Amino acid sequence: MGSEMDDDGFEAIMTAHHAEIHRYLARVTARSTDADDLSQETFLRAYRAWRGLPADANRRAWLFTIATNLCKNHFRGESRRRRALAAAVHEAAREASSWPESEALAREAHARVERVVATLPFKQRLAFVMRKLHGLEYDEIGANLECSGESARAHVFQALKKIRRGLDELAPAQTEPVR
Amino acid sequence: MKDTMEPCRVIEPELVALAGGEASAAGAARVEAHVARCGSCRDALSRYRELEGELGELRATAPPGADPTLARAELAQRLADLRSRLVGYGVYPSPLGPILIARSELGVSMVEYLEPGTDPRRAGLGKLAGTDAVEAREVTEPLYRDVLDYLAGRRTDLGWPLDLRWTRSDFQRQVLEATARLPYGAVTSYAGIAREIGQPHATRAVAQALRHNPVPIVVPCHRVIGSSGALTGYAGKRVDLKRQLLAVEGVRADARIDRAAMYVRYLHESAYCMPTCGALPTEPLSNLTLFGRRERAEAAGLVPCSDCRPDLHPLPPI
Repeated sequence: MGSEMDDDGFEAIMTAHHAEIHRYLARVTARSTDADDLSQETFLRAYRAWRGLPADANRRAWLFTIATNLCKNHFRGESRRRRALAAAVHEAAREASSWPESEALAREAHARVERVVATLPFKQRLAFVMRKLHGLEYDEIGANLECSGESARAHVFQALKKIRRGLDELAPAQTEPVR
Repeated sequence: MKDTMEPCRVIEPELVALAGGEASAAGAARVEAHVARCGSCRDALSRYRELEGELGELRATAPPGADPTLARAELAQRLADLRSRLVGYGVYPSPLGPILIARSELGVSMVEYLEPGTDPRRAGLGKLAGTDAVEAREVTEPLYRDVLDYLAGRRTDLGWPLDLRWTRSDFQRQVLEATARLPYGAVTSYAGIAREIGQPHATRAVAQALRHNPVPIVVPCHRVIGSSGALTGYAGKRVDLKRQLLAVEGVRADARIDRAAMYVRYLHESAYCMPTCGALPTEPLSNLTLFGRRERAEAAGLVPCSDCRPDLHPLPPI
């Protein structure tokens, strides 16, 4: 009966998806320590259930579902979410200021986007990161956020709109002297 | 005050879709026609396109400070820990009523008769301290099929690896191991098991240890009976189950077994006898192993006694 408990299949799932799930969580929580813990938790939960998964199930989408649920629990409560975000934005700014100048220039564009993403409302941020950075389908995103695919699309649209505006606001630094 | 640089509200979702490569042909055509005459939307479209370019680069890079390497190494450790605690179970119908079968990565850790409608987590699984129980039919289903074969008499040995980490004591483990050595189709007494483990006065403790047998059927405590031949207890008050299991193995019993109708092995002799052979009728049950059928004694590796010749004068079939 040994073969039934073989975990090679699960090793393969971890190898294929852990880094991506970690990156997803790092973006939506905006804290790498939370991503460490939640990514582990995602795979521990997955391990408890993966043998019952239908053979044709989309394992990647399934892992995103688990990660998203954990994330929602983690940030339950608006106040906690705000506190975490404030800390994250502060941290991101501090890290940015410690970069060497050349690197800072190269990273600046990314960093500006990351910073605006971190200020998005929670659902929009989740939808945006799942769609635009991980390429999930709107229906999958909708299922993860307990809304329709169309609502998921609307969340992503609102997020993009805010990011564009946010970047417009950050951009004037280049045209106006900073006091 | 309206920002003159803002794009037109009705067309903006389509601008976004076009920049992101998600627009339909009709949508793209509408956007092209619109931006040809609207400066702010033209401007917005190009900013959305720039943003898409940024996102393309962002997709390829981890967010600042996020390195999954350590988390992955730690995950391997936490997973190993989870594996050692994880017990997968399934609940199945059987001729003995609903049964729960649970196994860990090491082997079968629990078999339990459930009252219909019992929540398995509140039943025996709760006794496996420190474990993490999940329903896992895919790993318990093959075991269930083995049990059905066993109960139908198609299989005489389950041959499962066991995980006895949750036994109460070394004593209980010894009792379970001695009981597991009882051959298919044989019975002995609690006192017999006590003698077998070198503690001939521990009859009551043996009975207690078997009362809390975590893996009935697999460790065949149904083959252990009282010194008088009475079936005594099983799974609480389910002596009927004990009788059913013994019947499958060719041992007939009503309230008690009938010693006079069974073949006998004395202590560790290599032969089996008629119940009337020599001084056997007066031997205490603790020194004997009884078989309902000759074939069972022979399957256990015993030869017919050369004095009483059970092979030539078999007992009448039951």
